[in-house]
Amino acid sequence: MITEVSGHTLLVFVGIPALVIAVVALLVFAPSIANGPRYRPGLSWWAPPVWINGPTATKPDPANLPELPGAPGTTASAGAGVARSTGGASASW
Amino acid sequence: MPAGDAFTPEQLYDIERAVRHAEEASGLHFSVYVGGADSETRPFALELLNELDDPDNTVLVYVDPAGRRLEIVTGALAKRQLSDTAAGLAALAMQTSFATGDLTGGLVTGVQQLGTHAHQAPLLHANEPHKQ
Repeated sequence: MITEVSGHTLLVFVGIPALVIAVVALLVFAPSIANGPRYRPGLSWWAPPVWINGPTATKPDPANLPELPGAPGTTASAGAGVARSTGGASASW
Repeated sequence: MPAGDAFTPEQLYDIERAVRHAEEASGLHFSVYVGGADSETRPFALELLNELDDPDNTVLVYVDPAGRRLEIVTGALAKRQLSDTAAGLAALAMQTSFATGDLTGGLVTGVQQLGTHAHQAPLLHANEPHKQ
């Protein structure tokens, strides 16, 4: 015997469980939605470069500097600073 | 991957605060770069250091999230204050956080550690003449 399903029955047996599922799903995914995409090692990096405390003013490019009249033989070397002795450490993960 | 910024404003604030504290503690300049490298990471980090205003007194932390590489570069004068061993210890701490996906936490911890290692005790009465 098939009985007709009333609106009230649908609400109790379908609507309430669906609402509970929606609330739980929202609670689970809310932090990641709020924080945006998270860095996951091994996957590609999506964001543009960030430089905190970077150069305040752009240094003049030695190649574009006007040549001084009294020093015809001298040329500016852009890589001179790279040769300076530096220290530090490296790591990978 | 969806497009977006690497850090939220709160995360950026935390990193900037750590940088500021490290600078106050050590008297050195600190700079943090997060992004991909055009070439090998070490030469690229050195190029970045030389673009800064005072490279000799600067400690640059370079993180390549895609290549999973970290470089700490100390300038010619900064390395007298911050040894390679101390930089290696900070790199180890950062590496641990980065491996779990925590970029911000790793940067904050690492920069704090670098600032602490580079800390110099103040010289009291150094400018006063010696009195008998």
